[in-house]
Amino acid sequence: MLRKILIANRGEIAMRVIRAAHELDIETVAIFSEADRGALHVRNADQAYCVGPGPAARSYLNIPNIISAALISGADAVHPGYGFLAENARFAEICADHGLTFIGPTPDVIAKMGDKATAKSIMHDAKVPTTPGSGIVATPRDAANAAKKIGYPVMLKATAGGGGKGMRVVRNAAELEHSFATAQAEAEANFKDGRLYMEKLIEAPRHIEVQVLGDAAGNVVHVGERDCSVQKPSHQKLIEEAPAPALDNKVRARLHEVALAAARAVKYTSAGTLEFLVTGDDVYFMEMNTRIQVEHPVSEVVYGVDLVREQIRIASGERLSFTQKDLVARGHAIECRINAEDPQNFAPAAGTLSECALPGGYGVRVDAHAFAGMQISPYYDSLLGKIIVVAETRDEAIRRMECALRETRIGGVKTTIDVCIAVLRDERFRAGGVTIDFLPALVAPSVGLPGPGS
Amino acid sequence: MTLASRRAGETGSGSNAPRVDWDLTLERVRQAAEFCASSGLVRYRVEEGDLEIEVRRRAATPSAQPVAVAEPAPLAVPSPNGSATHSRPPAVVKAEFVGILRLARPAVAEGSIVSDDRELAYVESLGVRNPVRSGAAGRVVAVHVDDGEPVEFGQPLFSIDPAA
Repeated sequence: MLRKILIANRGEIAMRVIRAAHELDIETVAIFSEADRGALHVRNADQAYCVGPGPAARSYLNIPNIISAALISGADAVHPGYGFLAENARFAEICADHGLTFIGPTPDVIAKMGDKATAKSIMHDAKVPTTPGSGIVATPRDAANAAKKIGYPVMLKATAGGGGKGMRVVRNAAELEHSFATAQAEAEANFKDGRLYMEKLIEAPRHIEVQVLGDAAGNVVHVGERDCSVQKPSHQKLIEEAPAPALDNKVRARLHEVALAAARAVKYTSAGTLEFLVTGDDVYFMEMNTRIQVEHPVSEVVYGVDLVREQIRIASGERLSFTQKDLVARGHAIECRINAEDPQNFAPAAGTLSECALPGGYGVRVDAHAFAGMQISPYYDSLLGKIIVVAETRDEAIRRMECALRETRIGGVKTTIDVCIAVLRDERFRAGGVTIDFLPALVAPSVGLPGPGS
Repeated sequence: MTLASRRAGETGSGSNAPRVDWDLTLERVRQAAEFCASSGLVRYRVEEGDLEIEVRRRAATPSAQPVAVAEPAPLAVPSPNGSATHSRPPAVVKAEFVGILRLARPAVAEGSIVSDDRELAYVESLGVRNPVRSGAAGRVVAVHVDDGEPVEFGQPLFSIDPAA
């Protein structure tokens, strides 16, 4: 088993990894930026090293200082969390070069899945259904030809993309040239890689993803699916649940099956997620995330497994601690992300938390790093924490979540609490099976967000 | 020292021009420059994705300052007009790298008088010696670290009284 893990991250995920490691009697090393000196992960790790100033490029992305901190602290492994360096194949390689175990899949798999065009072709070969699309389209003319073949509407996407950046919907040939230029510029600016490809636009799909785990011995299991269709206009997720509600069991079984096939095709080790677009009975592979995800707890609480603990065990060379038939879903889980954001437009809010009272009770889990007096710095994402509830039925889970959200008191900054409550009260959400255009329509300025008292 | 840094394909203009992450780029240039100087190389070139950095140093001046561009966060309180006053607090020289601190020989101690570019120590990080310079002339009033001690970014290493 590993002895000491450096966590190359901050916020709630750093706390999540520290907890899992300490339960396994593994020591932890935190890294932090000058803006995070008072952060919870710094106080809870066994050791902590400042690796740079506030801007992430010089601290949480500062590979030489992070590796140096790992070496001088005597760590034998690095957990990257999510975001920052989690899906940076080069970082995983550098860890290995310095004798550090990277807690995640191999650099080769990270690189292949990180390049969307490569990922898609691997999945296609593994008989995983993919959206009709093109290879790299280098010029507007290439794009026009590809679009004609695929049929409008189409989506232009950055091969290095994520988080909705470098993505454009194109409904007809007239829009193509302008959309191509803007998507390319956005991809250049955000990912330093302006390459684009094109896919058929699946209108108003659901976003359903499947959690997988694989070990070095070749054992692969799925840990069910999560429905992440409640997304902000930027495609960032706000509310996730497991299992996916109002989903035909045949479709569910098919998702699990193709996710396993995909994980086996790349000999996946560690925890990973296959994201699919689902419309009616059709499922299309979207991308594979080669990291632990923000919303992993909903799977944990319905399956009763600790995914981060499994990641650590797998990285230590151990086998999965369960087989597929041990994994049985029980009940229904929902997660709400509490972000320091303006609920009307999801613009990040900075400031000091004047008050922070988090909920609790039976079936309520809180993975957070917020505390009263905390400074919210503008350098990082706005996630303050996540509230996860589990109950026997979905209706009970919705009720429990609403109670938990009403208990939550965050002062000093605007948060997403009210918009989460509005979603939970919406009849379409309660019926189950909303599509990704649900939340953008709910918060559209012309509609106006219902207040918590309405 | 001359520096050349460019991004391949950076030929666009106007709103389509790729946005360069200057923080990151300057940091890379600075690291390259310091590595070049500390390793005694006269020319050092590194490629990282589409970022290429080439650092050159005149061989005739081995004492060339490695930090030619992208001054790091102020290492010490600057004395703009050269007339330090007694009310000025000591300048604190901080670590810019995470690594193991090695005091330069002969080691400075409390009371040592140093020039403004004296190499006081270096931080050994991933096999690279990153020099720590005094940044201000004056008297060393405190040495906050021991030889061989691990140091983190921003850790105070030396306090220098510029008035002395």
